[in-house]
Amino acid sequence: MTGLATRTVVEPLMITGCGVVSAAGIGLDALADAIGAGRADQPAASAFPEDAPPIPLAAVPDLKVAEHLGAKGTRHLDRTTLLALVACNRALAGLVPALPEPDRARTGVAIGTSTGSIRSSSEFSRETLVQALPYLVRANLFPNSVMNCCAARIAIVNGIRGVNATLAGGQLSSLAALRYARNVIDRGHADRVLAGGVEELSAQSAWAWHLARGLSPGTAVGEGCAVFVAESRRAADRAGRPVLAEVLACEVRSTGGDDPRHQLSTALAGCVERALRRSGVGPDDVREVAPGATGQRGLRALERRGVRAVVGGRPGEVRVAPVLGETFSAGGALQLAALIAGWRRRPPAGGVALVTSVGHDGTAGCLVVRPPAGGAERREVRR
Amino acid sequence: MAEPTGRRVVVTGLGAVSSLGIGAPAFTAGIRAGRSGVSRIRGFDTTGFPHTVAGEVHDFAPRRLLRRLDPDEWGRSSLFAAGAARLAVADAGVRPAELSAGNAGSAIGTTSGESAVIERLTAQWVEGGFKELDPALVRQVPANRIAAAVNRELGLTGDAQTIATACSASNYALGYAYDMVRTGEADLMIGGGADSVNRWAHAGFYRLGALAEQVCRPFDVDRTGILTAEGGVALLLEEHDHAIARGARVYAEVLGYGVNCDALHPVAPDPGRIAECIRAAHRNAGVGPDDIDYICAHGTGTPTNDATEIQAVREVFGDRIPPISSIKSMIGHTMGAASGFGALACCMALYEGFLPPTATLAEVDPRLGDGVDCVPGRARAARPRIAQNHGFAFGGNNAIVILRRMS
Repeated sequence: MTGLATRTVVEPLMITGCGVVSAAGIGLDALADAIGAGRADQPAASAFPEDAPPIPLAAVPDLKVAEHLGAKGTRHLDRTTLLALVACNRALAGLVPALPEPDRARTGVAIGTSTGSIRSSSEFSRETLVQALPYLVRANLFPNSVMNCCAARIAIVNGIRGVNATLAGGQLSSLAALRYARNVIDRGHADRVLAGGVEELSAQSAWAWHLARGLSPGTAVGEGCAVFVAESRRAADRAGRPVLAEVLACEVRSTGGDDPRHQLSTALAGCVERALRRSGVGPDDVREVAPGATGQRGLRALERRGVRAVVGGRPGEVRVAPVLGETFSAGGALQLAALIAGWRRRPPAGGVALVTSVGHDGTAGCLVVRPPAGGAERREVRR
Repeated sequence: MAEPTGRRVVVTGLGAVSSLGIGAPAFTAGIRAGRSGVSRIRGFDTTGFPHTVAGEVHDFAPRRLLRRLDPDEWGRSSLFAAGAARLAVADAGVRPAELSAGNAGSAIGTTSGESAVIERLTAQWVEGGFKELDPALVRQVPANRIAAAVNRELGLTGDAQTIATACSASNYALGYAYDMVRTGEADLMIGGGADSVNRWAHAGFYRLGALAEQVCRPFDVDRTGILTAEGGVALLLEEHDHAIARGARVYAEVLGYGVNCDALHPVAPDPGRIAECIRAAHRNAGVGPDDIDYICAHGTGTPTNDATEIQAVREVFGDRIPPISSIKSMIGHTMGAASGFGALACCMALYEGFLPPTATLAEVDPRLGDGVDCVPGRARAARPRIAQNHGFAFGGNNAIVILRRMS
């Protein structure tokens, strides 16, 4: 039995807005600068969590919370939520024309986050062990311990009332969010979705990478968030919004095997092939690849092998991890943001780009992204 | 706006790892009898907690149920999900080779992911600092592993999507799984949910004043709150013609779903937005209020939820409210698995012909208004044709799935 739609070209998703917060700073220009230079400037020591292990870290230098979100109502929010709120704020602020209030009823949110704020949940859990009585936790922090907190808060702050999904996809979280967004738009559940991924640098996450020996030597544990306004072509046209990028396909596969690492490059190759077919383009059309696992021990070579099996070694690579560190759930979104940031500097000459991702859990994913005709316009709001 | 058409999607396999028993038949027998799955908590030390009962799963033996996963390598929620999925596939009579060769995947909802693993690590942190964290446990933390466990156990090569939309997550997962089959992205999908009982949720709900002491009494005049609970649930979703061609038992057809967000408050639900979600689900499913024969309520048993839910239902249904009951009266609040268990109960209600009860209901809260039939006590014989399954969550994440009997 073969699925109907898997043989056909899918409806593309228009990216009409982008907000990005990374170790490079806030915005696409800062990201393009850092990737051009091959490194991000080290922020002040105060940007790093206390009690972190002795390994490289890549923190967002200054989130400018009050400047972007106002002075009130942010005190109890955790860093995962703040990173995403600032990214959404930038994505919506840069949207031309702006998103009118009535359209927010059919606008949704799809946020990729593997585990939510592991700092929030483990600190909340810790209170049950260290307080005089185990229930003496702070009730107002309870929602932060639940993984949907970030997506829900984006809806509350921005009055966005459509579908509100939190996608835990590990390394593929951001791709999962875009895939989810494409589906709900395609199925008529929403006209547009704020879709992206977020990862928070904390002592907990840094120790986790360190102890699990997940990263190649020298790779920093990072953080960040990129959120895109993803719309149907019809919605983008109707609003008259210029397009930053078109997501043609978003495919995912699992190895399904006992030892996922064994079959990961094959699964990724199958995923890339299928994604290209469903985009109506061929391997020769691929000009650039933004791979995900550039900082991860064991996965980097598997990912490269899977991609090269389909498109060869000719396409240029845009690698974010050497600059932003390992950003896990936010990785795919930051890879896509890096492509868009690059296209604003050097208008690409046709073709498509791939955003790829592989995870230790045996999953592989691939986006096929087309740059806008005539290059991306510079429309980011400056402050 | 016109709904896009597509393939018909049916439920052909059910799996439950629940406090009422392992497997859909044991779960259903418990539901029909109005039995309680609540017991004294064993999952964590309750010293110092005023309330000490929960809906825990005690007789889950992953080694007996699972064929491929090594239970030592996976967290409790992942094992619940994989166990329920294995049961659903066996129930559906799908050959394992067909699953791994076909275009099949999973979408599993959760609220707190591997919370029991996180709590063990937290204890290590408190005891000896971060450097004492056990790396093997650290690797079990990411919530994406829950759906990955299902794919690994069953050899599925499609989506492995954990959806973490808190307590409506299973309905979100079922909606996504439905769309994947409907559009042909997949031929078979496991949809469901999994969560584990944990200290932090127990403490959090207690502090919110939302935790019942002994009994969860949804819609009752004396209701005092939820009981925390756990479990794993899985529904096998399959394309209709394929199911018929292989002579499968079809429990129900998935007609559609609706999702929206209150976008108002982190914990307080809003009746107007829930009513909008009901209408969206009806539109997507191509049904109207008069078509609904039964509502499987979110029905947490908190004063606020139940009043808000009835108010929302009244806004859509007017004076003719269909029978509405809460299975949380028996199994407690299984969080991310809750609406999955609700969907399973709906499938069995449609297939066998009964209405699940609100087992603990003594007296319907008069403030809920007239005409509220919560099916008190035990299941009632009936022939519901279309059921509406509610799932609401912190953050105002509403999700509703509509299911129809196959005649």
